[in-house]
This record gives sequence, C-alpha cells and structure tokens, in this order.
Amino acid sequence: MSDTAAAHEAPTSTGIDHKKLIMWLFLASDCMFFGTLISTHLLYRKLFPAGFTDAEGHQRFIQDLFSIELTSFSTFILLMSSFLMALAVSAMHKGQVKSFRRNVLGVIVFGLIFLGCQVFEFTHFYHKGLTIQNSVLGSTFYVLTGTHGTHVAIGVLWLILLYFYSFTGKLGGHMGALDVEVAGLYWHFVDIVWIIIFTAVYLVEYLGPYGIWGSGLPAVVK
Amino acid sequence: MSSSHEAAPSKAFLAEEVRRYHHFIVLALWLAVVTGAEIVLIYLPLPTAVIFTILTLMSAGKFFAVIMWFMHLIYDKRLLFWCFLAGLVLAFATFAAMLALFSADRIDTRWFS
Amino acid sequence: MSHDSHHAPVACKTELAPERSDLGLYRPDRATGWTDWLTTVDHKKIGILYGAFAMLYFLIGGVEALAIRTQLARPDNDFVTARMYNQLFTMHGTTMIFLGVMPLSAAFFNFLVPLQVGARDVAFPRLNAFSLWTFVFGAFVLNASWLFEFGHLAGWFDSFAWHKALVYTDFAPANGWFSYAPLSGTFGANGQALRFTGVGTDFWIIGIQVLGIASLAASFNFICTIINMRAKGMTMMRLPVFTWMALVTSVLIILAFPAITVALIELMFDRAFGANFFNPSAGGQPVLWQHLFWIFGHPEVYILVLPAMGIVSEVLPTFSGKSLFGYPIIVFSGAVIGFLGFAVWSHHMFTTGLGPVPTAAFSLLTMAIAVPTGVKIFNWLGTIWGGRIRFTPPMVLALGFIWMFMCGGFSGVMHSSAPADSQQQDSYFVIAHFHYVLLGGVLLGLMAGLYFWFPKIFGRMPNAPVAYLGSALVILGFNLAFGPMHYLGLAGQPRRTHTYHAGNGWETWNYVATIGAYILGIGVVIVFGNLVWTAFRGKKCGSDPWDGRTLEWSLPSPVPEYNFAQAPVVATRDAFFEHKHGAKKIGLENDGGEAGVHMPSQSWMPMVASAGFLFIGFGMPMMAMGIPHAGWLVISGLGVLFLGIWLWALEGPGGYMLKTPAPSGAPAPAETVAH
Repeated sequence: MSDTAAAHEAPTSTGIDHKKLIMWLFLASDCMFFGTLISTHLLYRKLFPAGFTDAEGHQRFIQDLFSIELTSFSTFILLMSSFLMALAVSAMHKGQVKSFRRNVLGVIVFGLIFLGCQVFEFTHFYHKGLTIQNSVLGSTFYVLTGTHGTHVAIGVLWLILLYFYSFTGKLGGHMGALDVEVAGLYWHFVDIVWIIIFTAVYLVEYLGPYGIWGSGLPAVVK
Repeated sequence: MSSSHEAAPSKAFLAEEVRRYHHFIVLALWLAVVTGAEIVLIYLPLPTAVIFTILTLMSAGKFFAVIMWFMHLIYDKRLLFWCFLAGLVLAFATFAAMLALFSADRIDTRWFS
Repeated sequence: MSHDSHHAPVACKTELAPERSDLGLYRPDRATGWTDWLTTVDHKKIGILYGAFAMLYFLIGGVEALAIRTQLARPDNDFVTARMYNQLFTMHGTTMIFLGVMPLSAAFFNFLVPLQVGARDVAFPRLNAFSLWTFVFGAFVLNASWLFEFGHLAGWFDSFAWHKALVYTDFAPANGWFSYAPLSGTFGANGQALRFTGVGTDFWIIGIQVLGIASLAASFNFICTIINMRAKGMTMMRLPVFTWMALVTSVLIILAFPAITVALIELMFDRAFGANFFNPSAGGQPVLWQHLFWIFGHPEVYILVLPAMGIVSEVLPTFSGKSLFGYPIIVFSGAVIGFLGFAVWSHHMFTTGLGPVPTAAFSLLTMAIAVPTGVKIFNWLGTIWGGRIRFTPPMVLALGFIWMFMCGGFSGVMHSSAPADSQQQDSYFVIAHFHYVLLGGVLLGLMAGLYFWFPKIFGRMPNAPVAYLGSALVILGFNLAFGPMHYLGLAGQPRRTHTYHAGNGWETWNYVATIGAYILGIGVVIVFGNLVWTAFRGKKCGSDPWDGRTLEWSLPSPVPEYNFAQAPVVATRDAFFEHKHGAKKIGLENDGGEAGVHMPSQSWMPMVASAGFLFIGFGMPMMAMGIPHAGWLVISGLGVLFLGIWLWALEGPGGYMLKTPAPSGAPAPAETVAH
C-alpha cells in the first residue's frame, strides 16, 4: 500500500504518480506472462484438437466438458466486479470512504463467486476425467485458468486488506485514492485477461462440430 | 505526510467524476450486452470464419473499452497507454510468430490423440 | 507531517530520536554497522552490496571455469568425473550470467541512475531493498545445491530412507545453463513423471525463478526512477548514455523475463505434479521449451551487454576530452538493439528444423541486428578520434572492450548464416563466440566501470600500476584461452563433453587454452584484489579525479546519504563538464533543501519478505528429494513472504530529515585532475 516516501515529495517529471506508473509497467510485463500461458494452451489445441483419453480409455472432447452456462455466468460476474471496482475508485477520488467500502465489498463478493465457479468447474472436469496428468490438454487448461484464478485470489486478498485498512482512517487523501486506484488497475487487468481467455479458450471451441481446431482432426476420429 | 489531509476536491473535479460515473454505467451495460451477443453468436448458422472474426473483434472491443475507461487510460497521461501497448503488442506479435512456427503437419501427432 | 523530535532535521541519522512505525515497532533508522547494512534503503549502499555479491560469485564461477579447463588440459583426463563436469559447466554458465554479470550491472544501475538523473533515491527505496535480498537468497539457493552435492559425495545422506529411494543423485544442476527439455523434464504416461536428472534441476528451476523476481522488481523501479525522477531540465535526450542503457535494459527485463517465468512454472508442474507440458511420452513438445527459453534468452543477451555498452559510452568521452560522437544515434541504436532482440530468438534453434521461410527470416533479422551494433562501434571510434586520450585503467579496459567485443560480433554474424551455424552448433566455436562477447565485451566493460566509478563510490583511487598489470593479464589470458577455441570448434570439438581422445588434433590448443584460462584467472584476481584494496586502503581523492562529465562527479566522494543537498537544474547534456568548462552552469532548485532533505526510513520488512523465498527455495527441491514434511517448508515460505509484504504495507512510509551543508550557490568547482 504505502511504499515510498519519495512519492510524497516533489511532483514527478512526467506528472504521473510513481505507483501508477509502476503498476502499468507491471501490467505490460504481465501481458507477456499471460501471452506465454495462453499461447501454450492454443499451441497444444492446434496440435492435438482431439482432446484427451479418460481413465476408461474413451476418447473425450473438450466440448463434452465445457458448460457455456457456467462460464458465461462467471464471465458476467467478473465483468460486473470490474464495474464495481471502477465505482470504488471513483468514490475514493471523491473522498467518499463509505461508498468505497460498499463497492469494494461487492467486488470482493463477486471475486469470491468467480473463484467458487472455478473450483466447481475444476472438480466437475476432474470427475469427467480430465486431469493435469493424463493429457497435455489437462496440463495447459488447468495451469492457464489456475494461474488466472491465482491472480484473482491475490486481488481478492488485496481488496480485503484495503477494505479493513479503510477502517483505520489512514486510507484517505490523494495517496489513499492512489492506493485504491492501483489495486483497481490490477483488478481490471485480471478481468481483461479473462475477456481474452473467455474467447480464445472457451467460445472458439463451439465453432463447428469440433471447435475451431476441429478442422485439423483426422477423419477417423470425427 | 502533509498530503494525507488535503483540501476537499474542487467542484470541477467532482463534476468530472460524476461524468465518469455515467460513462462507467453505460460501459458496464455494453459489456453485458456484448458478452450476451457473443454467447448467442456461437450458435448462429454462419460460416466459422465469419463468427470467428466477429468474436475476435468483440473481444478486442471489450478489452480496449475496459483499459480505456475502467482503467482510466483515456483520462490519464498518454505515456501510460504507450507503456501498456508496448507490452501488449510485443506479447501478441511474439506469440503469434511462435504459434505460426509450430505446424501440425510437421509434427507426428498420431500417437497422442 | 508531525514535526516531533524524530522529524527535526539532524546532521547525522544516529542523532535521531527513536521512532516507532505504524506497527509499533522501532524503525531501524538510527542503526549502524550490520543492522544498518541489512535494513538499508539507500541506493548507494544497495549498489555496493550488489557489487560485492556479484564479485564473490564471479570468483566462484571462475573457480568452476578453471576446474573445467583443468579437466580439458589433457586428452582422456580424469580430473573430475563426467557427472561433476556437467554440474561444473552448468553452474559456471548460470553463475556467471545470473549471479555475476546481471547483479554487477544492477550494482551500477543502483549506484549511478539516481545520481545521473539528479534524484535523491530510486522511486521505491524499500522495493529496491527487496530486490537485493531476493537476489541474495536466490543466489544462495542455487549454490546450496553444491552443498547437497558435496554432502552426497561425502556420504552424509546414505543412511536416510529418502536418499536410498532416489533414482538420480545429482544434486547440483547438470542440464546446461538453458536446461533443455526433455533432459530437464519428464517422460512416461499418466503423470508418472519419470526423470532424466536429479534434484539439481529443481534447484535450478526455483533458483532462476527467484532471481527473476528480483530482476523484475528492480527493473520496474529503475524505469520509474529514470522516467519520473529526472532533475529539472534533464530531458530524455540529455540523459547520460549509461542511464539510457539502464532504461533499455530494464524494459528488456520486464518484457523478457515473464516468458522464462512461465516456462519455469510449466517445467516445475511437469516435474512436481506430473503435468505434460514438455513430456514427449504424452505429446508434449520439448522444442516448446526452446522457444520459450530463447524468447527470454535472446533479449537476455542484450540485458547482459547493454549496461557494459553504456559504461563504455561514459568512459570513452571522459578520457578523450570530447563529447560522445553522435549521442542521438547511440541512444537510438541501443533502443533498436533492444527491440530487435525480441525478434531473433529462433536463431538459437536453426538446427531444430524450423522450415526454410522462418530460418531465412530469422537469419535476416539476426544480420540486421549487427547494423546498430556496428553503428555504436563507429560512434565510439568517432569519439576517440582526434581526442586527447588519457590511457587511464578504465580507458584501457574500455578500449579492450571495443576490440574484443568486435571480434565476438564478427563470429556472431557468422552464426547468423543458417548453413554456417548448422556446422558450428554445439561446437567450441560457439563457446569462443559468446565468451568474446560476454568476457571480452561485458566483463571488460564492467571492469572499466568499476575502475571508473570506484573513486566516486569510496572516495579512493585504485592503484594504477597494479590495475594496468591486471588488465593486461586479463586481456592476454582471455585471448589465449578463447582465441584457440575458434579453431577447436571448427576442427570439430563438441562443447559440453567432459573429455576427448588423443589423436583428434585438439591437444595443443586445449593445452594453450588452459594456460590462458589460468593467466586470465590470475588477472581477474589482481583486478578485483586491487579494487578491494582500494575500497579500504586506496589513496584518498577529490570529488572529480577524472574530469568527469555527468552529474555524479559534481558531488563529494563518497557521496553523502542525501545525494544532492539541493536539486540540480540542468541546462545541457554532459551538464557537469559544461558547468566546469563552458557557459551553461548547473543551477540549483530552491526546493527547501536548506530546511533539510527528506530521507526514507529504513526497514526490516523487505528482507523478511525475501526470506520467504529462502524457505520456498529449499522446500521445493527437498520435496523433490522425497524428504518428509518438506512441503511445510514451502507453505511456511509463502506465509513468510505474505507476512513480510503485509507488515511492509502496514508499517507506513516513515521518513526523517537530514540537515545539509549551507548552500554555496553552486556545486564545488573542479578539483585537480589526476593523470
């Protein structure tokens, strides 16, 4: 939260607060991070469009697992949490700490719902036979969405700490608003990563009989 | 720190915040509508290429809407936008190139379905 | 801010009244001695610590190199076993790159960047301390693998059940510095996670991961400092070239390291949890590791070399008595090198069979990157052309840099041609090439920087005759050691092979290379020994012994804690040189400096947070060894990390005021110039 003494001092060369600048630099770096993860998943979808073989030796398709209702619901939840976060930041700018608390509590609850959906999804997929060990698909899918989930969990933790910190009365003024805005930037970034994942990992699997990658399937499997 | 007890925000600043507040509400509605449209779109009997293109555009639209408005890039200094865009473009270009380098027809995938 | 006794300006921080942080703990602001060094947030002290650790690891990596060369001195030698040889060359490469060159560059960044931009510290002083300690603990974890290896060889673990159950017992990393899968990965279906290597690889994975976090945190900090904390009038195109190269390097780090971070996570999941990212038995593509590694690894090459280029760009103008020739072109070339560095990773993979079009494209891009590098070399030549050259130790080393780096560049251009590269791949020719770049280039550049700035850092002059002797031995030994490797490589000697038979025609030059390596080793010890002696016993010198050009030379040596008593206002490039000899003087900003300078408080929390990585770093490999309950070590490490960050956030920024000498109106005039 409060990191630097220098940030309170003279105005910066660019007029941008240090904390805001460093957060954007971190997010630029995180683009490469999620770029690597997402491209690993897409690469293996391209190479092995057929999905995986479950414990009984049956050929299974990723479309057998996905539930568009669940994923759409959690996507919607995350988008709306982003909206509430924007309102929380706005409230802090206006110095309305109570309004900030209300909104950020909403973000925390929505974030927890998203995580709950993910836990449900993982257990559901696991019981349908997809494990991290039995296929490349399992490895890439669980690690990609799990890493995103970890980012969400860290964000929830951060916001919970900010929520309780606001009761000490120290979260105020320009620096307080900045602390909240930086946390907000992180939260929105987690949201936009999910926007990409929702399309690139989930929706494209519904195009055509075997998803966008299905054109690479040998005729025998089809 | 002296900055922790600043004067109350100015009137112009508050008016600006109210204006942004309305932007946020409109954007939230749009995000919900576009996400709904995406889900409908995948079931429409259109050529895959068309749906795929529209999905990509919609996703990119949502992405940029969030970074521009929710993340304040449109209100903030331009430098932040370029900082982030550098990472984004580099990630996209690098991994597009890497995906293109892997060609399914040069890798024997028969053994692993 | 409440002006209680802690906040009234004092001349020395030991005079401060004790102050409690928001947590109720005493802040270590008044500390001296060990506590002061462990809790410091002063960029200069952090820089010195980075430099000290880097020099220590240079020596460790050097001992590993000498062991390698001793083994290769004669054909069919058995000085070390094949297994030990693999561990030696792996740890030599890893140590030199991640624990030698990068921290030494970080030492220069830390010490110089705030001084050169006219700032009083970096943007995030406590984050800077976090970077330092994370590096220290990561380096320790990586090298602790040697302790386990020696314990194993000495038979200490023989009676333990977990040790008897181990299939592979190599405890130090043995995969080479790029740890190619599948050797570093796993095989077998359905999560069997059978391995080709022992826990050394796990030490390597977690060690590099932790070091990456340290580099990332430091780089975010430097970019912020350079972009945001420039003195008035210090526009981007007035920044010293070293600071420019620090900026480009930091940008490269934040954009390149995430790729290796993810690759390491994937490899860790393969080994620890039976995932299949690089597992060939389940369809994983080992070549994906190569892609991800080199997407990081090639920018890494420029991360290593650009700081040295920045140093040379400061040293050459100073000792030529001329301003840098073509400043904008040098800056632009540096940025282009950084940018193109992301577009050439596959030239490390020509022999994997990329197909004709990608091979041609990467070949062309690689040749293109030689252009900005050549531009820089011509600009350096233009700088010394017609100058009044003073052959001081830093100048000698900087000139050595140009010449040796150019040789490395020439063999690099040879590699860019894919057909030639497929002949040279994995041969000693490659070893010769990158040692000319990294040793002849980077190490000479960094040594030039050490000799150039040591008078500023410690206020003492190095012994010049000893410095000349050391430099001469380094350059002579280096050429003797690595020059013959060009020939050996083209004559077919493969790299990473623990011995060779007599009769291949390699005996003579291997013997010569070993002699050269020992001369090089003696030279490095003399160069470093001279520096250590300088730090404690060197002859005291004034603030500007070299007739310097940039802002740091306008400050007393050693530099006071607050750097600038009053913030400078800069009117031109090479501001201090113009101030001394030209019309454009450095102004002083009336920023309330006479009331005292605000200093950030010291803190234990960055080190506490970093200590979490120590637990994780030992816990992960110990889990892989099968030591019972080692998982708890990892979990407690995560707990310590979280606790450290949390307390760090809650303790509040603090800060105190230091009195500065009465403003004299302008920086001190130039003192007598040595040499």
